[in-house]
Amino acid sequence: MSNESHPAMIGPGGRPLRAAVVARIYDHASDTRSLFLTLADNGAIHFIPGQFISIAIPLSDETRTRPYSIASHPEDGAPYEICFNRVPNGPGAAWLFERAIGDAIGFSGPFGTFSLERAPAAEAIFIAAATGIAPIRPMIRRAAAGAHLAMTLLHAAPSPEHMLYRAEFEALAVRDAGFRFETMITPEAETYSRLLEQCDRRWVRGDTNRARHFYICGAGHGVIALRDLFRSAGYERRAVHYEQW
Amino acid sequence: MAKLRVIFENGAPERIVEFDPAKAPFHHDGKPGSILDILLGHKIHLEHACGGNCACTTCHVIVKQGAQLLSEAEEQEEDMLDKAPGLTPTSRLGCQAVVQAPDAEITVVIPKFTINLVSESADEQ
Repeated sequence: MSNESHPAMIGPGGRPLRAAVVARIYDHASDTRSLFLTLADNGAIHFIPGQFISIAIPLSDETRTRPYSIASHPEDGAPYEICFNRVPNGPGAAWLFERAIGDAIGFSGPFGTFSLERAPAAEAIFIAAATGIAPIRPMIRRAAAGAHLAMTLLHAAPSPEHMLYRAEFEALAVRDAGFRFETMITPEAETYSRLLEQCDRRWVRGDTNRARHFYICGAGHGVIALRDLFRSAGYERRAVHYEQW
Repeated sequence: MAKLRVIFENGAPERIVEFDPAKAPFHHDGKPGSILDILLGHKIHLEHACGGNCACTTCHVIVKQGAQLLSEAEEQEEDMLDKAPGLTPTSRLGCQAVVQAPDAEITVVIPKFTINLVSESADEQ
């Protein structure tokens, strides 16, 4: 496959893009899908757990740039997994849902500073809302691969089928006594109010320990509300990491 | 009318955009009326790998004139800028800095490293 075979291989601003090919498609739920991408040139994406690639979405009148976190692990190489859900009026996800096996996708990157190269030297709390689990999945695997202090993953999703990678995290919790996996099934509209209530009760009012590190990812302003909860409670600004989509 | 002058540190020709801030948004990425929104709406490319969502620093600009005429940086922008290469006291993210005054005159520099960061990531791997 050549770059010329796909109209989006020249990105916005005339910048050349890398070409990926859809190797596999997996539907977690009717509205949530993973694409597994290989590179047309058989190269690799050298990324840090948590980073995203920037995909060129060719629309009728222009090419837009939209970010998608890499949900797979750097150590595994290709295929690289991105997962996403349908977003009302979201042309990026709509276009990705139309891709078939063998289709080419133009991208650049990786980018992003919401990333984790190794476990922090502190207790770590990972908080994911729905597909916000995508960047956190490789972060946890990287952190768990070496010596680490206590780690907790709190994943909120609207249904069990939206609890992506559940079996994987349950298995990790069984073999790694330092990792706790907790799930919260909640209607989408209540996701952040429930996360805020639980985080406030456990990690703000629950004790005076302010040495934890937080890694928060999800869509909407609730991510910012969680950030503010922890920072205003006395956690160091740089100990509260977040990515809001 | 407000005026936005854009200097490209990589030597590309300077551009000047005249616009009415009240007519924002001009495009669909970044905050309405932001430097990114204005430039894209006038067909001047500024990188924005995260789609203008304040999740990366590829739209980093250095404000040379009129910094006080832009919206104040919020905490999320400051968190991102903390991690930006080549940070200066007048660095802003193009997707977040909104031109507010109707007659503002703003000059920004698009740093070389912002441009290179993106092109290298596309080329090197």
